[in-house]
Amino acid sequence: MNTPDIVQRGGRVLPVVVNDRESEARTPANRLYRIPDAARDPFTPCPPAPFMRAGEHDLTRLAPGRPQASGEAIAITGRILDEDLRPVRRTLVEVWGANAHGRYSHVIDAGRNDAPLDPNFYGFGRLVTDDDGRYQLRTIKPGAYIARTDIGWWRPPHVHFSVVGSGVRLVTQMYFPDEPLNEKDFIFLIVPAADRDRVIGQPAATHAGDRAFRFDIVIRGRFQTPPDLD
Amino acid sequence: MASEDLKARFTPEATIGPFYPGAFLTHLPQDLWTVAPLVAHHPQGQPIVLVARFFDSLKRPVPSLVVELWQANAHGRYRHPQDQSAAPLDPQFDGFARVRTSDEGVLRFYTIKPGAHPVRRESAEVRAPHLRLTIFASGIDRLITQLFFDDESSNQSDPVLQSIPDPRVRGRLIARRRRTSGGGEGVGEYEIDVVLRGEDETPFFDDWDG
Repeated sequence: MNTPDIVQRGGRVLPVVVNDRESEARTPANRLYRIPDAARDPFTPCPPAPFMRAGEHDLTRLAPGRPQASGEAIAITGRILDEDLRPVRRTLVEVWGANAHGRYSHVIDAGRNDAPLDPNFYGFGRLVTDDDGRYQLRTIKPGAYIARTDIGWWRPPHVHFSVVGSGVRLVTQMYFPDEPLNEKDFIFLIVPAADRDRVIGQPAATHAGDRAFRFDIVIRGRFQTPPDLD
Repeated sequence: MASEDLKARFTPEATIGPFYPGAFLTHLPQDLWTVAPLVAHHPQGQPIVLVARFFDSLKRPVPSLVVELWQANAHGRYRHPQDQSAAPLDPQFDGFARVRTSDEGVLRFYTIKPGAHPVRRESAEVRAPHLRLTIFASGIDRLITQLFFDDESSNQSDPVLQSIPDPRVRGRLIARRRRTSGGGEGVGEYEIDVVLRGEDETPFFDDWDG
């Protein structure tokens, strides 16, 4: 143990988002430690099965039959795949985003954002992928909002995605195509240029009358191998 | 080229940002000792509470930081399809929780002390009892680390803990047992400071391929 070999094969140094005070204060400065190969096991967090049921794929209404939220209803569909491009089946996908005015239904956004809440939009939902790793959701296209008034930093419209299941864990943000704010957003720009198309939803055929975007997710990690759950 | 098309291009990770929905916390277990309100069942093993304080580079507490905890049961068995261990499962223990730090940057996590276990079924190397943390917060992408207990002699041979060469850095992953327990009678209380950046920075791990 403690071989120089392990030390030299260190992990990544995580990048800091420019002009982001929280990123500057919270991103570890030291190189990550690689877990020694001999100690690697396939056990990554696995939410218990009883919690893996969720049918909250329509964010545009608080409940079926309630009024639709303001703004443009959109569909987002895609597949979740592992690094061997196998489907990530029956895994929990959590999504959240701002309303059409660029306001989150979150107490932290209450003191800093003059944009109105929408009484018909909470902006979060949960769903589970099918046996082909497919998901689909309906939401409102989020508005842009200003993140730092002092430097005029706007966040472009984006939807947050979280994928958690037996063997996979990813949190990312989906951006929209043809948004001029994308190229000025420090959080978007920290993505290497060659990978930026991976976080932009692609226009797709309309879905039940809604403008639709395709957002496929490929999850990295040699030990993030999704097994069959049953 | 077809082979290039087939090669996976990974989706980049991003921060959860400041507006992570609180409902995502309450939808998943937050307390692994209490099975459900007013239920008499409890998992097997020694009940413990972990008190973890999270700090940034300026030693300020980090509020609204989300931690996903994952651990073996008291017998060292994970409730995971790939755990081939002969150790028993515990009907009352799933081992997954999602919790959030308070406005003071403090996390109180009620669970049972996990058992030691071999790395894999035939493996000679033994993992000391530990908690696996996946950490999210505004300003950072996913961070992972593992926390150990200061009253476990198996720490001396744990292959993950001992892969950190500097003993002072290693010590930052070891929670200290408090002499007087504030967690209730019979509950072992452990405390640790997790420093995301700066002096006394906690070691974090990389689970990507090299």
